[in-house]
Amino acid sequence: MAHAPVAARPRVGVVKFASCDGCQLTLLDLEDELLSVVDHFDIVDFPEATSARSAGPYDVLFVEGSVSEPAHLERIVELRRRTRFLVTIGACATAGGIQALRNWGDHDAFRAGVYSNPEWISSLARSTPISEHVTVDAELRGCPIDPHQLVELLTALTTGRRAQLRDESVCMECKRRGVVCVMVSKGIPCLGQVTQTGCGAICPRFGRGCYGCFGPREQANAAGLTRHLQMAGDRPREEIGRLFAGFTAYSEPFRSMVTELGGARTARGATTTAAGPAPRGGKA
Amino acid sequence: MPVTRSPRGGRPTIEGPGFLARADLQFLFDLLREDGRRLIGPTVADGAIIYDDISSVDELPRGWGDEQSPGRYRLRRRGDEQLFGYVVGPTAWKKWTFPALIPLTRSSHDGHKVSFEPEQTPPPKLAFLGVRACEIAALAVQDRVLIGSEFIDPDYMVRRANVMVVAVQCTTSASTCFCTSMGTGPEVTQGYDLLLTELDAGFLVDAGTPAGRLLLDRLPLRAASSAEQYGVAATVAAVRARIGDPIPADGLHDRLLAQLDHPRWAQVAERCITCGNCTLACPTCFCTTLSQTTDMSGLTALASRSWDSCFSPGFAKVAGGSFRARPRDRYRQWLTHKFATWWDQFGTSGCVGCGRCITWCPVGIDVRDELNAIAPPVPLSPESRLVEPVAATPNDFVTARVVNTKAETADTTTLTLTGVDPAFSHGSTGQFAMVALPGFPPLPISISRFLPDGIELTIRGAGPATKAMCALQLGDQVGLRGPLGNNWPLDRAVGRDLVIVTGGIGLAPLRPVLHAIVADRRRFGDVKLFYGARTPADLLYRDELDRWAKRDGIEVSLTVDRAGPDWAGRVGIVTHLFDQAAWDGTNMIAFVCGPERMMQATSTTLAGRGVSASRIHVTLERHMECGIGLCGHCQMGKYFVCRDGPVFSIAQLGDTFGREGI
Amino acid sequence: MQDHGSLVAVLNSTWFASGLEPGIQTRLAELSRTFTAEAGQELFREGDESEVFGVVIKGRVALRTLVPERGDFTILTVEPGDVYGWSAVVPPYRSTSTAVAIETLEAITFEGPALRAALREDAALAQALYPRILVAVARRLTATRVQLMDLFAAEEVRSW
Repeated sequence: MAHAPVAARPRVGVVKFASCDGCQLTLLDLEDELLSVVDHFDIVDFPEATSARSAGPYDVLFVEGSVSEPAHLERIVELRRRTRFLVTIGACATAGGIQALRNWGDHDAFRAGVYSNPEWISSLARSTPISEHVTVDAELRGCPIDPHQLVELLTALTTGRRAQLRDESVCMECKRRGVVCVMVSKGIPCLGQVTQTGCGAICPRFGRGCYGCFGPREQANAAGLTRHLQMAGDRPREEIGRLFAGFTAYSEPFRSMVTELGGARTARGATTTAAGPAPRGGKA
Repeated sequence: MPVTRSPRGGRPTIEGPGFLARADLQFLFDLLREDGRRLIGPTVADGAIIYDDISSVDELPRGWGDEQSPGRYRLRRRGDEQLFGYVVGPTAWKKWTFPALIPLTRSSHDGHKVSFEPEQTPPPKLAFLGVRACEIAALAVQDRVLIGSEFIDPDYMVRRANVMVVAVQCTTSASTCFCTSMGTGPEVTQGYDLLLTELDAGFLVDAGTPAGRLLLDRLPLRAASSAEQYGVAATVAAVRARIGDPIPADGLHDRLLAQLDHPRWAQVAERCITCGNCTLACPTCFCTTLSQTTDMSGLTALASRSWDSCFSPGFAKVAGGSFRARPRDRYRQWLTHKFATWWDQFGTSGCVGCGRCITWCPVGIDVRDELNAIAPPVPLSPESRLVEPVAATPNDFVTARVVNTKAETADTTTLTLTGVDPAFSHGSTGQFAMVALPGFPPLPISISRFLPDGIELTIRGAGPATKAMCALQLGDQVGLRGPLGNNWPLDRAVGRDLVIVTGGIGLAPLRPVLHAIVADRRRFGDVKLFYGARTPADLLYRDELDRWAKRDGIEVSLTVDRAGPDWAGRVGIVTHLFDQAAWDGTNMIAFVCGPERMMQATSTTLAGRGVSASRIHVTLERHMECGIGLCGHCQMGKYFVCRDGPVFSIAQLGDTFGREGI
Repeated sequence: MQDHGSLVAVLNSTWFASGLEPGIQTRLAELSRTFTAEAGQELFREGDESEVFGVVIKGRVALRTLVPERGDFTILTVEPGDVYGWSAVVPPYRSTSTAVAIETLEAITFEGPALRAALREDAALAQALYPRILVAVARRLTATRVQLMDLFAAEEVRSW
C-alpha cells in the first residue's frame, strides 16, 4: 500500500458504482470522529453527504461498488487518472460483491427471465472488483466496512504512517474477545478461519457462523477447510460450496471452491419464471 | 453478604485436610468477596463451560460435564449434582493475568520533543476458582517467561500478584487431556492457595500457602476422614489411569529437533488453516503485537498490546518478506517451540497437556498424533517390536552362506553371512542366533551387525565348534536359528547420556548398538564407550573404533590388561577407566558386556557413580543348547537367559547377579 | 620458585589429594615441586632405590617390568590424578617396576627421604596421607588381581 500524500488538507471524493451505499454510510456514521474528519479533509465530492461536486483531481478517492455495467468501465479509468490515492471500500469494490454470483450463471438468461424488455437493461456479464480494472492503493474490506478500520485508514492518511489493517483470521478476534467457537461447540460451519479479520467477530459473537464478508485472508486454506467439512459431516458438496458463495464469492480461493463444489446455481435455461437466488438449504 | 461470625465459632484449627459440606461452599464465595476479591470461576455460557465473573454457587455448572475430541466440544448432562465434573474449557486464566488487549504507553509529540508515559493499570484483586493442575502449571510457565528472567513484564507481575488460586483437582478427564505426559497432572501438588476436591457429600479442602491457611481457618470445616482422603486419592489415580501416556515425552526435545525435514510437516500444513486458534487458546502462549491508536492530528498516541500468533502470515515479516512464508514453516515453528526449544529458552516444556489446542482446532488437528508421527519414540516395549524368529523349534535350522571372513584378532573371526531369512535382518541389537555346523553342538553367537541382506557374527575360536566356525571359507554354509532373545533397550537411551562398557569379545553384541547410535546420533546425549581387551592385539574392530572416536562423536576409551613397549595407551582394568571420573550418572543409562566378573565390577562401579540399577543393563551368557527355553540349561533364578534375556537390567537380576551357584 | 598457592590448587584437582585439609595441603605444597618429563623419558628403574613419589597431573606413566623370556611388559599405566612411586614411602624403598613417561608428563613430586621424614615427624600429615596412599595402592592391587585372572583369555583354560 503506498503511503499517503502529504497534503495539508487532502481533497477527498467518495464515488459509487454498483453497491448498496452501506459503506459510504459508514463514513457518515463516524459520529465521534466526523468533526475531526472534516477538519483534516476537504470533502469535495460526496453525493450522499453534500451537494458540492467536483470532477477532481482528488488526493484521496473512496470508491464503493463493483464494476457491473458498461459505463463503469470507462468511468473508473477516468477517475483513476484524476486520483492520487485510490481506496476501494466494501465487498463490492474489493471482491465484486454478492452480485458477482451472477458470474457463474447465464447473465443473458437472468436478464431475459426477469425483465420484460431486457434490451433496456445495460449490464455486464460479470460483476468485477475495481482492482480488475485499475490499480488500487488501499482497500477496506467488509460488508459494510468497519468504522474503526476506516478511522485507522483516515488517521494513517493524515499522519503519514502505514494503516494497521491486520491480515489475520476472524478466529483471532473471537479468541481475544472470549467468544466460544461456534464450529467447535455447535458444529456450525464458520468461514472465520479463512476470512480476514476487521469486523470484531460480529457474527460468531451472536452465535452464527462467519460468512466471509471481509473476504479471504492471505494464504487462506479454503481447500483444507472444505476437506474437513466434507469429512466431519454428511454435507453434500454443493452445500459446502454455498458457504463460500457469499458476498466475497468471487475472490480467490473462495471462487475456486464455488466453481469446484457448485453453490452458485446457474439458471435452468431462459424461462418466463424468475430464476431466483439458489435456496440456502441444509443445516446451518 | 459479609459473614458476621466465624462459622466454626472458635473451635480449634484443623490439622491436615478439612472437609467442607456441599451446602457450605457458598461461605467460600462470600469470604473471598468479603476480602475484596472479584471471583472468577466456571459457568455455562454459549454452549461451553467458560470462566467468568461469578458470585454464587448457583452459577457453577452443576450437573454439567463435557465431551471433548479434536475439533469438537459438547456439553452433556451428567445426571448428578457435581459442580466440577468437567475439565478445561476454551477460556484460559491468562485472560486475566495476561489480557488480550491492554494499553501500554501513552505518547505525544509537538513536532520536536516527544514524551512517553507507561500506562499503569491498577488491576483488581481476583480469586480464581476452579484452577486445574495443568492450569497451575501453565501459570508457572508464564511466570517463568514473563517475570522469571532479567526482563520482566510489569503488568503481568502486578496482575499475577493479585490473584488467589483456589484449585480444584480433576475427578474426570477428557479424551484430549495429556497432562500425565507433560508431567503436570492430574494431581495438584503445588501452586495453589486453597485446593478443593469434590466428593459426593462435599469437598476435601487443603491449604497451600499462609494466605490459603487463613482462608481455610474461616471456613466451617471438620477434619476429613481417612475414607474421604482415600476416596480422593483413588479418584485422582483413576483419572491418571484413564489418561494414560499419550505422548512419551522422554527425549522429545531432541527427537523433534532432529526431524525438521520430516515430510509430515507438509502433510499437516495441508490441513492446517493457520487460523491461530491453538495459540490463542493455549494457556502458555505469550506472543503479542503492538498497535497504535492516534487522533487525526497524530500528536497523541496510545500503544496497545494484544495477543498475536506465530501462525499469522505477517508475524515474521520484515521489509523484504516473511521469514516463515509457508504455512508448514509456521506450524513447525509452533510445534517445535512449544515442545522443544521452549526447554532451551526457559527450562520447562511450553506445553502443559491441557488439550485445548486439540479441542479448539476447528479442523481437529491433534498435536499428539503429529508428535507421534514426526518424532516417535523408539518403541518402549521391546517385546512388541521383536521379529518372529525362524527355525524356532529344537530340531530345525535355516541355512546361510559365508560371503566374507575377517580375522579380527588371532583367535576371533567375523563372518559375513547372506542368503539368510529376512527375519534376521530385522532383528534387534543384542539378539543372538544359534549357530550350527553338522556334528557340532549348536552355540549361541551374538549378532554383531545387521545388514539389509544378511548379518555378521563375530566368533572367538575358544573350542572345537567355534574353531570350526572361524575356519569357514567363502561360499561355505552354516545353520542358523533366530534371531533370538531380547534386545538392548536403546529407546530408553534416547535423549540421555549412554555409557557402554565392554571387555574382550563383549564388544561384539554392542557393536550393532553403536551402529544404531551413529546412524541417528543427535537423538542421544553423550555416548561413552569403555573397552578393555587382553592385549592391544586383541582389540576388535580397530578401524570402527577409530571412526567412532574421530568422526561420529563417541568418546572411546581403551585399556588393555598388559602391553608391550610400543603401546602408548592405557594399561589397567576397564573399571579404572571411569571409577574416578567426574561425571554424575544419575541421568545415564549403561550397557555392559564382558566376562561376568567384569560386568559385576562394572555395575558396582557405575552404581557408585550414581547410575541406578534399573538403568544398568548387562547381557548374560549361559550354557545354551536350544536357544528357545526348552532344553532347560540356561536357567538363572527365575529366568531363562535365552528367552527372558540375554539382556537384563541389574534391577531385574537383583542379588542373583554375581551370586555364586545360581 | 614454586608458588605454594598454585601448587595447592593443582593438588586439589587430583583425586589423590583433593579435599585434604588446607593445613595439610599447604604442608604438601611445601614439600613438593612440579616436575615435567618428555615422552619416552625414564623416571626410575625397577630395583633402584625409590627416590620419588609423584602425583600425575597431565600425561601418562607406564609401569613396566621385564620378563626375561618375553620382554618388556607394561603392567599398568598411571593416569592423571593417580600416583606412582609409592615404594618411596614403603620399605624397602625400592622401585617395583620401571616407570616411563609415555606422553609429555606434568607431575607433582616429593623427594622420598624428605617425605618419609615429614611423615615420621608430622603426625597430622601422616594421618591424612597414609589412608590416601593405602587407597591408591589398594586400587592398584585389585586391578592387578583382575589382570591376573586374565578374564579375556580363551574360555577353555584348563590350567588348574
